[in-house]
Amino acid sequence: MLLIYTEAGSWQRKSEEERQALYAEYLALDDDLRAAGRLAGTSELRPVAEAVAVRAGGLVTDGPYAETKEQLGGYYIVDCESLDEALEIAARIPSARDGAVEVRPLVEARG
Amino acid sequence: MKHLLLIHADEEAWEGLDEGERLMALGEVAPLLRDLRARRQLLGLGQLQPTATATTVRVREGRTLVTDGPYAETKEQLGGYWLVSCQPEQATEIARAIAPRRVPGGVEVRALVER
Repeated sequence: MLLIYTEAGSWQRKSEEERQALYAEYLALDDDLRAAGRLAGTSELRPVAEAVAVRAGGLVTDGPYAETKEQLGGYYIVDCESLDEALEIAARIPSARDGAVEVRPLVEARG
Repeated sequence: MKHLLLIHADEEAWEGLDEGERLMALGEVAPLLRDLRARRQLLGLGQLQPTATATTVRVREGRTLVTDGPYAETKEQLGGYWLVSCQPEQATEIARAIAPRRVPGGVEVRALVER
């Protein structure tokens, strides 16, 4: 699982032209991964301002679970041969250039 | 609507539980899981391997920087996710039902951008 962390609002601060260019880059990456049979899922998340979090004792609060400068903005689930391949894909994610991508192996499903 | 439920838990505390307690924690959500599956509301779920296996990638000035470990060095870390198709109120209900009870933790509910 590739978790894309970006600063909240960084997307909104970009010009329409920059956003279009980045979307095109994302779509090209998605197409490549799909063609290679690597893409198991991907999505952009709606702004973190709309998030809710459930805490200890079932308390529900508005906003993200952890108040960090950068927040999860989207994810990819990719089927890779090796960690190196996953890292290469992570480096191709446009937001890796102004944010960070956390790469986490998944526990393989039983049965 | 699609919602991603991100389960955060104190990893050390989770690993400190004995096998029986871990299985019991996973077993508690089984009926809900079956229910969501039967209603075709469960689009995916996954358990992440411990953050000891995490790697963080950044690209700066054309160079790829790879560091070991998760993006944020916090006590509570992402340990799993459920992807469900439901209204926001139901997403919050499901989040309450799957929030960790035996270890410190919680669940972040995030709506997906629909295309």
